[in-house]
Amino acid sequence: MGFYKFLLTRLLTFILVVFIGITTVFFVPRFMPSDPVEAMIGKMTANQAFMEPEAIVTLRETLNESFGLEGSVLQQYFGFVKRVILTQDFGPSLASYPIPVNELIARALPWTMGLLLISTLIAWLIGNVVGLLAGFRKDKAYSKALEGVSIVIYPIPYYILSLILIMLLSYIFPIFPLTATFQGEGFTWEHIRSIVYNSILPALSMILVGTGWWVISMKTLSSGIAEEDYVQFARLKGLSERKIMTKYVLPNAALPQVTMLALQVGSIFNGALITEILFGYPGIGTLIYQGILQADYNLIMGTITISIVAVAGATFIVDFLYPFFDPRVRYK
Amino acid sequence: MKHWNFRLRLGVVILAAFIVLGFVVPLFSPVNPIEWGTYLKNLKPSGEHPFGTTNLGQDTFWLLAKSVQNSFLIGILVAFFATLIGALLGLWAGFKGGFADRLITVLTDSFIVIPTLPILILLGSLMQGKASLLMIAAVLIIFNWPWPARQLRSMALSLSERDFISTALFSGQSTLKIIVKEIFPFVAGWSVANFINTILVAIGAESGLAVIGMSSNEQATLGTMIYWANQHQAMLAGRWWWIGSPVAAIALIFIALFLVMTGYQQYSALRRGK
Amino acid sequence: MSKMKRLTTGLLLMAVLLSACTGGGNNGPEPTGGAGGGGADGGNEPAGTEAAGGGGGGKMTDVGTPRSETLIVDILGGRSPDPERFNPYVPGAVAMDAGVHQLMFSNLWEIDTQKGTQIPDLAATFPEPLDDTNTKFRFKVQEGLAWSDGTPFTAHDVEFTSKMISETKELGWNGYYTSLVKSMKAIDDYTIEVETVNPETRLSQKLGVVIWGNNFRVMPKHIWENEDPATFKFPDPIGVGPYKLSKRDPQGNWFLWEKREDWQKSDIGKLVGEPGPKYILFKYFGPEEKRIIGMIQHDMDILQDITPESWDVLKQKNEYARAWYQEFPYATMDDPCERGMSFNTAKEPYDNPDVRWALALMTDIKNVSMATFGGMLRVSPIQLPPIQVLQETYHKPMLDWLKDFQLEDGYKPFDETYAEGIVDMLKQQGIEGLPTDPQAIADTFGVGWWKYDPDKAAQLLEKNGFKKDGDKWLLPSGEPWTMTINAPANFEVQSMRLAFAVADSWRKGGIDVNVQQMEGASFWDSESTGAFEIGSYWPACGLLPDTTANMTGWHKQYIVPIGEQAPGNRNRWANDRVSELLDELDGLKPDDPKVVRNITEINQEFVKGIPFLPMFGTSKFVPVDTYYWEGYQTSEDAFEGPWWWWSQFKFYTPHLKPTGR
Repeated sequence: MGFYKFLLTRLLTFILVVFIGITTVFFVPRFMPSDPVEAMIGKMTANQAFMEPEAIVTLRETLNESFGLEGSVLQQYFGFVKRVILTQDFGPSLASYPIPVNELIARALPWTMGLLLISTLIAWLIGNVVGLLAGFRKDKAYSKALEGVSIVIYPIPYYILSLILIMLLSYIFPIFPLTATFQGEGFTWEHIRSIVYNSILPALSMILVGTGWWVISMKTLSSGIAEEDYVQFARLKGLSERKIMTKYVLPNAALPQVTMLALQVGSIFNGALITEILFGYPGIGTLIYQGILQADYNLIMGTITISIVAVAGATFIVDFLYPFFDPRVRYK
Repeated sequence: MKHWNFRLRLGVVILAAFIVLGFVVPLFSPVNPIEWGTYLKNLKPSGEHPFGTTNLGQDTFWLLAKSVQNSFLIGILVAFFATLIGALLGLWAGFKGGFADRLITVLTDSFIVIPTLPILILLGSLMQGKASLLMIAAVLIIFNWPWPARQLRSMALSLSERDFISTALFSGQSTLKIIVKEIFPFVAGWSVANFINTILVAIGAESGLAVIGMSSNEQATLGTMIYWANQHQAMLAGRWWWIGSPVAAIALIFIALFLVMTGYQQYSALRRGK
Repeated sequence: MSKMKRLTTGLLLMAVLLSACTGGGNNGPEPTGGAGGGGADGGNEPAGTEAAGGGGGGKMTDVGTPRSETLIVDILGGRSPDPERFNPYVPGAVAMDAGVHQLMFSNLWEIDTQKGTQIPDLAATFPEPLDDTNTKFRFKVQEGLAWSDGTPFTAHDVEFTSKMISETKELGWNGYYTSLVKSMKAIDDYTIEVETVNPETRLSQKLGVVIWGNNFRVMPKHIWENEDPATFKFPDPIGVGPYKLSKRDPQGNWFLWEKREDWQKSDIGKLVGEPGPKYILFKYFGPEEKRIIGMIQHDMDILQDITPESWDVLKQKNEYARAWYQEFPYATMDDPCERGMSFNTAKEPYDNPDVRWALALMTDIKNVSMATFGGMLRVSPIQLPPIQVLQETYHKPMLDWLKDFQLEDGYKPFDETYAEGIVDMLKQQGIEGLPTDPQAIADTFGVGWWKYDPDKAAQLLEKNGFKKDGDKWLLPSGEPWTMTINAPANFEVQSMRLAFAVADSWRKGGIDVNVQQMEGASFWDSESTGAFEIGSYWPACGLLPDTTANMTGWHKQYIVPIGEQAPGNRNRWANDRVSELLDELDGLKPDDPKVVRNITEINQEFVKGIPFLPMFGTSKFVPVDTYYWEGYQTSEDAFEGPWWWWSQFKFYTPHLKPTGR
């Protein structure tokens, strides 16, 4: 019965977490000292297109009406919650009026997910292997070298690292394209190939920058475990080092890393921001950035809500699977 | 000192060098290193200007020293408080269970699921430039404590199933005492790793914010230094002394911290072995 | 053993879960991608086949056209959120500067920025008043033009467009338009009669291009009459311009335009001649570093608005790249807005003209110029940008007045030696190729600015009760003087840097200045609501000698309290004389000689009160790559300015010729 109780509490937590997250995300932008109408007018006048003062007043009225920004903040909040729960509709984007936010997200999400999920996963795998070797076999030359490389690359700020990659691989040695241009469409070989070709550089940057942390934490975990009594005991028993590593150290050290991976889903959306802007990759990061620049409430709330639900979902699944990995933990 | 291994020694030496650079050297700066137009622009490294000058007419060396100082302060402040708060709450939750666990879990999870960078940018436009370095540090602490909390909770969960903990529990020791005495030694290694990582996350986040213009760009930090160098295309123009020095500084500081950490682990393992 | 198994299954499960997500990721773009391609299919096929036939093994662009026949242009505004949307009347979604208004849509009247006059585009003549009420006008439209689908272009399209805007309340422009135009009628196929709501003296400026473009873009009646203009996307757009949309990126990063086969029936075909490039590719390259690398590699022909440092790099690494001037200062300085420091005159202590003047005299303008754009800037002491046309009309004629101008106590603040001084300074930095002739020096660097005189500034401040405590200034109240300058965050780089440079200068003068960088939305909002002390805004634009339209906003009737959105006069500066002169200007025709006289007097009022402290004209580095194309406009061959993001781009196309590489 403990299982159902566990499931119920986790489910409640999940809902609570999403609710708190969404509420925060609704209110924070409303405290911003700017509003989307003014941003739109600013955008129009910044183009230096001439506008008379009267024109601006009438434009402001029209926009306020079509953006649905009338009524008190509280009314807008209840309207928002109702809309999101009942219809999963975030309304029109205000900066790219009148395109629905849902449409923008639907178009961007697959790109972000494809690129960032894969590179996060690869970074996780590489990082853990390297970290395990570095932690468990710390005296071998190759593990020292691997560790050294990841430790040097890791602290370089991501923006700079990507720039160095771009300079190196699409300027000095022009192997990869400077900007992403996708050929073909749908499920054709041409299209898929061009997506892969155009994604290598951004993916590489994400992997390079992501691996370091996994190396460090895995190394710490595994070197700690390597000193535990049961490992020493296994050694005395005469088990091969390889066996000790895979059988005793890896399973115990991998556990926290799995939790961490689930949480990393969230930082995917952070990473997306800079990667996509820098590599001209179509995705959710660019959307979030545009939304903030233009005070596009609906877009900000839509994109962030999606990411909140994704991360909360991932942690929920991990918590749920945790006892399955580690028999010592029971559902409670 | 006798038992110090190579890693530990090297790490401490580099770290000490940076602490001197950040906290002692700026005292001798002949000018305000942030002011523009003090020297001719874009001078290459020379005896007079060991790291050259920037496109804004600042001496790169003095600027770097000041930047190291501020970045260190932010990094250590954030890492210390985030790890401390996170470790205490996480262990408490994992070990105690029940309502406290649920409350803390909801809290950490709520913070974790909100994507940091967009919210930081939003907060940036909220603060309207009154964002001092201390304020930025505070915001970074808020967003960085849930990570160790969550990780350590799951470690505590797994540890609490072990025999020696149960023994301690049955012997009637207080929760706090158990956490400090029995559990902390097991998670200390991870916490130190987290501390070091958080220093970097903080320095990195600050520089990320600097690029977007939320950090106080008139204060010298390693982030704002990179920001200004980038603004003036130092990389493409080959002014490596300007863009390179803060990047190298960040990397070196981190490597030093890392060496100290792993070196210390070896050192203590050796001592325990004796 | 069983533990290991469980772990493996667990990991596998995770892997399946994750790959399911990514699998979805690859499926995802299909529907939208398909739709995107579908929309462009019409133009897609001929382009593809011809490209394959004509390419003959030469270098191809990444959209499949021969590089030697394709002109590649940077998109200033970034990605288009929805590349399926070309309805220009719904605000927001359409990225006009992706070639849309440069190559396809046309306006009634265009501008010749070199002469400072408007020229006909779709309209053949300018509006002629039918009586002396100035409310009824008539003009002709061009004969023999056709939309790119072959349908003839007539006055009925113009009438239809006007009616559509007036009758559709949802269109952002509706409010303004209905307050301006009562009706437009097509008398015959080529004649339009307009009736305005109020007497108008500048109709062609309001419905035609003065700066950048104009919202009145004529739409094809035969397509739009069956659609709801408020929701119609116009996914297969057509125009009277010389190019048609051939292919587009479903992600909105690029648009490929192809020359019409019947280009003779486009406005440019009739008015100028055959456009040179067969294809024009508008492409967004990303951050500045990448745009520069793009041009170094000859993957981009026209770059828009980069920093001086980037230009330095570019000119060293690509010998084919060139800017407006062959030599220093390289940049064109004819952009129609000038930059400076804008005061909120409703806030203490900036409500005091003495304080504003003290700040002007505390500005070390030469060092500010060096720190902002490496000295490649032209100063302006008056409220109008120092562009060639206006410099001849206002700056130079006003020189004597400026020299004689005195502050209340008889102090003469003007310094006409600025240009010589900055040239000396640049020489010290080792810059070569500087102008030597005094006339050329003044033309390049400006007529002069205010003296750098901290002592006089101190005197002005002390007169008003400010005190100096050590090297820091105290306000009359005894508190330390702290000041915040609002600046754009990473857009409008010149204004952003100017704020930091001025802050540096004033800080040295003893004020505690801090620069607040703001995103677009907050930046504009705080100007409009008066939530600023000093801002790096640019409320000083102008292009034609008649700058009435650019100045009307300064009328005192537009002043609202702080906290409310201001329709104009965001500096909240009330000046009776200026308002009076503006009222008078409103009733004058643009070519009336009194216009220049009135505007000159307005400028004098601005100098006295300085609600906005003008500093520099805008320097734009718009480099072109002469590797694949030649015939671009430059300072030596200035048939037009380098305004590649304006609607007048189409007028340049006949000048461009392939180099044959």
